Amino acid sequence: MDQASTKKPSAVLSPQRPLTVEKARAGERIAASRHSTQLVYSYVAFSAFWLVVGTLAGQYLGLKFVWPEIDSLSWLSFGRLRPVHTNVVFWGFASLGMIALALYVVPRTSRRELYSYKLGWVSLWLMNGSVVLGTLLLMAGINNGGQEYREFIWPAMGLFALGLMVSAYNLYKTIARRDVREIYISNWYILAAFLWTIVLAAIAYLPGYQDDGISQTVVQGYYMHQGVGMWFTPMVLGLTYYFLPKLLNKPIYSYSLGVLAFWTQMLFYTMIGAHHFVFSPIPWWLQTVAIVFSVGMLVPVTAGTGNFLLTMRGSWGTIARSYSLPFILTGVIFYALVSYQGTLEAFRSLNKIWHFTNFTVAHSHLSMYGFVSFLIWGGVYGLIPRLTGKEPPQFSVGVHFWLALVGLLLYGVALMIGGTMQGLSWIAGEAFIESVNLMIPYWVWRAIGGTMMFMSHLIFAYNVWKMRPDRLKETEAYNI
Amino acid sequence: MKLDFHQNHKLLYGTIFTGFVILSLIIAVFPAMWVQERNEPLPDSRALTELEQKGLNVYVSEGCMYCHTQQVRPIDMDAVWGRPSAPGDYARIGRQDVWRQTPAVLGSARTGPDLSNVGNRQPSEVWHYMHLFNPRSVVGESVMPSYPWLFEVKDDAGPDDTVITIPGDYAPKQGTVVATEKAEALVAYLLSLKQVKLESGETADAR
Ligand code: HEM
Ligand code: HEM
Repeated sequence: MDQASTKKPSAVLSPQRPLTVEKARAGERIAASRHSTQLVYSYVAFSAFWLVVGTLAGQYLGLKFVWPEIDSLSWLSFGRLRPVHTNVVFWGFASLGMIALALYVVPRTSRRELYSYKLGWVSLWLMNGSVVLGTLLLMAGINNGGQEYREFIWPAMGLFALGLMVSAYNLYKTIARRDVREIYISNWYILAAFLWTIVLAAIAYLPGYQDDGISQTVVQGYYMHQGVGMWFTPMVLGLTYYFLPKLLNKPIYSYSLGVLAFWTQMLFYTMIGAHHFVFSPIPWWLQTVAIVFSVGMLVPVTAGTGNFLLTMRGSWGTIARSYSLPFILTGVIFYALVSYQGTLEAFRSLNKIWHFTNFTVAHSHLSMYGFVSFLIWGGVYGLIPRLTGKEPPQFSVGVHFWLALVGLLLYGVALMIGGTMQGLSWIAGEAFIESVNLMIPYWVWRAIGGTMMFMSHLIFAYNVWKMRPDRLKETEAYNI
Repeated sequence: MKLDFHQNHKLLYGTIFTGFVILSLIIAVFPAMWVQERNEPLPDSRALTELEQKGLNVYVSEGCMYCHTQQVRPIDMDAVWGRPSAPGDYARIGRQDVWRQTPAVLGSARTGPDLSNVGNRQPSEVWHYMHLFNPRSVVGESVMPSYPWLFEVKDDAGPDDTVITIPGDYAPKQGTVVATEKAEALVAYLLSLKQVKLESGETADAR
């Protein structure tokens, strides 16, 4: 490896190392202030930490399906650990990772320093505090009524919401004082995601209109969907509108397509929450509206993906030579695939087969992992080496990529097939336990895929460590 | 003032914020208020007893709803679980306390069977205790977790204790298995899950 780094980058296999293709180095280092580097890197480091913790829990949960007696400790039981998995990867890993990148992208595209580094740190500690507190409470059996993704009781989620507000203010101030006339499209998506999620958290937790079992279900559908649709999706899309053109060194294919996708995203995505409760006793018209707008989602999804792919057209060589762009390409492809998959899941005819089955779990991971996580990793590998001047070993980035991708495909394909068989078994009227028995091999495949994914996260953490900034002295030499 | 989203940040983010608030009110908050106001408990239903309510709290705390639904859909394949669920079935559920919201009993995955009507389908207390202590003691192929912390193993049980007889392989090496109050509450709750008659004509339109 060391020897390789002195040679010129090349996309062809070198005879000495037939296993890997040599990737281009990160390129010149960006002049960024020490404050910025430290803050961004700390978010990334915590994000990697929570990824390992959260998916250790996920992998353990996956094992419990094939080995239910693996332990019998209340704190580790399935029903308590499952929300630990989802909340830690949502609020710890994915959220901190996205905010790390946003704390760089927003000032950069506004040609300004971040408004306040101090507020950046405050937000980081609030969010970390929220995840620690929330997780301990969940393991102790204290949750918010088992409402998916709002399982943290309000004092814990309140810390997270406070962190969001602090960051939103910080970024808003940065944009307001920008040194360019136009607000770059990334900043539309990024700050919008913050504003939407603050509203969302408020609506999810305020009392008064969601006190019986049905009204809370209406709000839950809305919340569950906006969590993924108005926080993770617009954040990573906004980041990609920066990183993709930057790393390819060419402008985005169509700016106005990005704007169209933005407004349709806001209008359509907000309306489709009830598709999580098709055939449930919530109002039928609400379900129908959700299904119709789920079809409408084809517009922003196609516009967004098309825009990214057309930007990439003609640059496939650059992508193959880069170690960050393959993550971004993968993320973009998954964005389209899972969204089309989601539209299908919303139709009553197909929902009947797939709802309540493991097919939904496949969809959750193909989306949150294949789409959101891959775009975060692409951004991290695209940015951090340029900030700190330290590159991760290319080989281990490659191993991260392939383990994560192959692991996810095993996980996703196994559960899509298994989930479909579950649904068909129920429709055929077989005894319920049949649908458990038939899942065993698929759950084994999920455990195998999950192991590969988890190993890739350990490697990611190692790579993050390798990219750590040197002690102050050396970094300062690059200050502007 | 020129309407330029690209250059006017107040306008851009103001629109984004208020637009989303309005859409959210239309699609979530108002519908939720509307159904909540109209929802009535079914005439044949009764409120949970204190013990059953405690059992629901255990159900929530242990996260049973991650694998079990309480939601029968109005389609043929769900007929095995009972009659289609109606809003009234959930009218009596409320917040547990100021810290916790109304529980999500409807669920979103059927890794285990639906429980809307389990009190009628499986009315035996003993079965439920054995099943909670170790599901495989009654359903060999089950993948449900055991809940031993809802039980105590005592050397000699007192007269007030609910003693559970567990078949050989699954029983502790020595001592007898006794249900804690949590287990008693949970079983009482499960047995209370019995679908009651819908008012005439309510079956389909209630949705
Ligand atoms: C090593 C990698 C991972 C493994 C083995 C894993 C495993 C699992 C398991 C076993 C469940 C419970 C499924 C069930 O209840 O039937 C689950 C749920 C979930 N996980 Fe993961 N997970 C992993 C990574 C992730 C990541 C990185 C994310 C998000 C960024 C994620 C998001 C979710 C979500 C959203 C659910 C809820 C699914 C639903 O309700 O449909 N997982 N995961
Ligand atoms: C147009 C795009 C999409 C549509 C129409 C869509 C549709 C759906 C539908 C209908 C379900 C419910 C399935 C069921 O319970 O039977 C679902 C579940 C889910 N979707 Fe999507 N989806 C889309 C995109 C996404 C994206 C981009 C993400 C992640 C960023 C995502 C994450 C999830 C998750 C986590 C769940 C599981 C929720 C749960 O039950 O815990 N979806 N989606």
